[in-house]
Amino acid sequence: MWSYEKRLQFPVNIKEPNAKLAQIIISQYGGPDGEMGASMRYLSQRYAMPYRDVAGLLTDIGTEELAHLEMVATIIHQLTRNLSMEEIEKSGFDKYYVDHTLGIWPQAAGGVPFNACEFQSKGDIITDLSEDMAAEQKARSTYDNILRMIKDPDVCEPIKFLREREIVHYQRFGEALRLTADRLNEKNFYAFNPGFDRCEDCN
Amino acid sequence: MQDFTYVEKKEERPLAMAYVKWQKFDKVYDELEKAFRIGTIFPELNKPFTGRRCV
Amino acid sequence: MNGQEQLLNNINIVDFTMVDLALFLDTHPKDRRALDYYAHYSQIKRQLCREFSKKYYPLTMAEADCEKSWSWGEAPLPWEGGCVHVEL
Repeated sequence: MWSYEKRLQFPVNIKEPNAKLAQIIISQYGGPDGEMGASMRYLSQRYAMPYRDVAGLLTDIGTEELAHLEMVATIIHQLTRNLSMEEIEKSGFDKYYVDHTLGIWPQAAGGVPFNACEFQSKGDIITDLSEDMAAEQKARSTYDNILRMIKDPDVCEPIKFLREREIVHYQRFGEALRLTADRLNEKNFYAFNPGFDRCEDCN
Repeated sequence: MQDFTYVEKKEERPLAMAYVKWQKFDKVYDELEKAFRIGTIFPELNKPFTGRRCV
Repeated sequence: MNGQEQLLNNINIVDFTMVDLALFLDTHPKDRRALDYYAHYSQIKRQLCREFSKKYYPLTMAEADCEKSWSWGEAPLPWEGGCVHVEL
């Protein structure tokens, strides 16, 4: 179960509002490669894991992603909370504002609402860990794209932190995959699903 | 409880599998505040982005 | 940075160190150096959190003090930004 600490994992103190940037960064909140997808993916996959240490890793990284979700929401909130009506109208943020005012709602920059199709929980450890490694790279790429667009150091610092965390997570999922391969038959890793099949060959 | 300590077996890497290099505990940043700003305590995992389109 | 900001900054730094070590330990559960580092910082974090909760506001519900009023509910929310000065 979860405890809550009333602080952000990394501080966010943005002085200058920026509606255009908020519309971009929202992809890391509810977009296809964002933190909501990441946390739901890992926290959903962990139940079917056949090895406790891998289930533990998924729980810990999934929990950290929830903290990142909170950071991204904070960035969007601070970029938009002091916007004037004129800024809202001029920046194209009016399309979001009409449905949500300044509320935070999980969608991608292009408007696609967050949905479970943005992640998979396949119930096969090799498949799920491969998905997780890809997910971390997708998130890292998205942060690269965001960094190209930012000039404000108040926004840069938390984004750079979040991007680096994706790289570390990639390494950990890669290690979990090594641990898994090491426990399976090296002649054929795919002979059976260790989380489902009771035996390799029942003949 | 089974011992799941991982032992790196370099020679045994069969086909049709992805292998991320196993990290060994080496250096940790001396200044924790610096590590925090970067986003990791391990210098060997620090991979900053410096790309620019320049078009 | 004032005293409150400095203390929260230290808590952030120590806790982050623990998180990065914890993920390493998830895949390297017997690494002695990582285990020792974790234990060391865990103790420091506990002390810092206790100090912060006494001086300013509780960071977890468990540290909420129930003497005058529900200090947990009065604590600033993390997305407010800046250093919100608190008088409980």
